[in-house]
Amino acid sequence: MTGPATTPPERPDARLSSDELRLVVARVLLAGVALSAALILAGFLASLFVGWDGSLLGAARGGDPTDVGAIAEGLRNLRPQAIAQLGLLTLVLTPMARVAASLGLFAVEHDRMYVLISLVVLAILIAGLLVIR
Amino acid sequence: MTPGADVALFGISVLSGIIGALAGVGGGILVIPALTTIFGVDIHLAIGASIVSIIATSSGAAVAYVRDRLTNLRVGMFLEVATTTGAVGGALAAAVVAPQLLYVLLAAVLGLSILQQVSRLGEELPPEVMPSRAAVALRLASSYPDQQLRREVPYAARRVGLGFVMMLMAGFLSGLLGIGSGVLKVLAMDGVMRLPMKVSTATSNFMIGVTAAASAGIYLGRGDVDARLAAPVALGVLTGALLGSRVLVRLRNRQVRLIFVPIMVVVALQMLARGLGLHVAFLG
Repeated sequence: MTGPATTPPERPDARLSSDELRLVVARVLLAGVALSAALILAGFLASLFVGWDGSLLGAARGGDPTDVGAIAEGLRNLRPQAIAQLGLLTLVLTPMARVAASLGLFAVEHDRMYVLISLVVLAILIAGLLVIR
Repeated sequence: MTPGADVALFGISVLSGIIGALAGVGGGILVIPALTTIFGVDIHLAIGASIVSIIATSSGAAVAYVRDRLTNLRVGMFLEVATTTGAVGGALAAAVVAPQLLYVLLAAVLGLSILQQVSRLGEELPPEVMPSRAAVALRLASSYPDQQLRREVPYAARRVGLGFVMMLMAGFLSGLLGIGSGVLKVLAMDGVMRLPMKVSTATSNFMIGVTAAASAGIYLGRGDVDARLAAPVALGVLTGALLGSRVLVRLRNRQVRLIFVPIMVVVALQMLARGLGLHVAFLG
């Protein structure tokens, strides 16, 4: 179900290629939600045993993983909060991947207008991620 | 936070997710009141937790709708230009808007959802509409397979500009309040653009995830998405929404509304009271 998305071959039949577009979009969504839910669940369950700032590897308690460096440190030490945070980030990136998938498939359909529209949406999403940093 | 509180958070989120799915509203609009009133969570953290939960429920449900060809990918993508722009604006505004105003706005959107619940009668198709020039240029017309009518239903769109403006507003409220604002999205597509109800609902649901992602990035950057709160809430709302959609098939629409409209009324009044700074004892 969540296998890698393959690029559909170019076909003159518009209906067929738009059905493929739908399947790829659905798969990207499913894979993103499944992956992030698994990470968040892993972090949540781990927190019940060692606490949010603990470590599954027995490292000393650590602070809030607010920046990239702290999250990386948290992941190395398998801190529940860092694992869950990674899952939340994956969740936020999932719709972005979905827009990117749609963009690619509009391109396969030679639909220039919608490639452009998808690019605008993608740009706004990326701007939203970067605006505060 | 203690493990006990974690489990309680998870439980209340499951409940919000179930009620949200059954009443056809996102989990967010119920989970924020629950977090702020029952757990005394700061409203900005509650919004941060809600906004990521919405991405999970919307994306999860969208999979089936996309496969069944109910979702109009072009309508969705085009209108997402408006909702994401609005959402970024809303999330930026949230930092400077007084919490009282957030509560009042939450109550207002809930009130709108209640009106929609009460007024939504039979599910018939919109009258045949002449597609507007913009709708033709943007190729928004399409068709979907209706399982009840057992035929392919073609449809067009009109008043695209007005629909776009409404989507800007829907996106703004979504970013400001951390909710999906699906009611406004459906209103824009069904009421203004005259798309069939099923297409409007499915496409709205599809758009909610992208809209929420646009503002979630800003909440993440601000540190308002705290995993300690957001993890149990997101898992709970997702579980509740999945359970709710299973139960929904077996219930009659009327029963569902009779049960949940009163709950939504109470929550709306409670939010209004909070926003106005009133102390209403029996509402907590």
